[in-house]
Amino acid sequence: MSWLGGWLREIILIVLLATFVELLLPSKSMERYARLVLSLLVLLTLLSPVVSLLKGNAASELSLAFRQADGGASGPSGTADAELRRILADGQKLAAGGREQSLKLAAQQIAGQMQEQIAGETGKRGANVAVTLALQGEADGHSAPAITEVIVTLPGEGSAAPSNAPGGSGGGSGGSTPIAVQPVEDIKVELGEESLPREQGESAGGADPASSGTEEERGPYSEDAKAVTALLEKNWSLDPGKIKIVDGGADKL
Amino acid sequence: MEIIQIVGIGLMSTVLILVLKEQKPMFAFLLAAATGILIFLFLIGKIGGVISTLQRLAESSGMETVYLKTVFKIIGISYIAEFGAQIVRDAGQESIASKIELAGKVLIMTLAMPIIGIIIETVMKLLPA
Repeated sequence: MSWLGGWLREIILIVLLATFVELLLPSKSMERYARLVLSLLVLLTLLSPVVSLLKGNAASELSLAFRQADGGASGPSGTADAELRRILADGQKLAAGGREQSLKLAAQQIAGQMQEQIAGETGKRGANVAVTLALQGEADGHSAPAITEVIVTLPGEGSAAPSNAPGGSGGGSGGSTPIAVQPVEDIKVELGEESLPREQGESAGGADPASSGTEEERGPYSEDAKAVTALLEKNWSLDPGKIKIVDGGADKL
Repeated sequence: MEIIQIVGIGLMSTVLILVLKEQKPMFAFLLAAATGILIFLFLIGKIGGVISTLQRLAESSGMETVYLKTVFKIIGISYIAEFGAQIVRDAGQESIASKIELAGKVLIMTLAMPIIGIIIETVMKLLPA
């Protein structure tokens, strides 16, 4: 029943408004035309229940029709096209941002899995793996992510301890945390005495004595590198050129 | 009392125009146009008050704003067209004045088109095919 009340109220208001507007009109010559539009409005209000039954809300239909008429009169098709193009470009930008983020996330997860596999197969804990993903075949429209580069930073036997501290943030948190304590001890020693601990520190960091140290470690390290490369090649069917093995001690240099 | 001000301005400008018309008819026309604009500006505030009251009433009673906008557009078009036509008529250009009036009428009729469209569509849907 409330719709009936609203309908009647709208009719009364429109009729009152029409009468008032007729008084406001400046000249007789315009009056006929204005009266035509006003009477059409009254008619539309009277028909509004039928209109809403057949087409939808009468007022929204009218506003839509006015907007269409305005658009046709001013002819802003060019501006509408520009607007559409701008919106599409924005959407593509947003989609590209989302794709990049998802690629990063996927790369992190792949790196974590590789780290676990390396730890499980070779027993080398705390290897830092960085994976670079890129979309391939974007021209076809069916772009698929592919691994473009894998950088594995292997922890050295003795010198790996300091180099692993930054690598721990990559993903292998379990193995790297106890090793990360060791550089702090080094610094303590350096503060206490002057000459001896510095030499020790340098040898640990791998400056001049590091060359000899790496030479000593070259044998087992290259074996590890080979094992890791073979493992990744087998498990992820990667091109060996894409896999880069970096020695933790050499990386520190 | 705005009406006294307006009538005063009108009388003064009429006397001035009558005097000027003998010497410089061009200035007489400019003065007439300026007086017309002045009186129109006086009235614009009042018309704005009426329109805002109508708008408030319509909003409070829940009337659709599209109807109100259409009505206001009619008032605006007819006032502006009438004002321009009278100024041009004062300058003696009756034909241009009638063209301005015609433009006002056509624009008002353009406002009627969407309404007519909706009504006719509804009637056509009501009729059996």
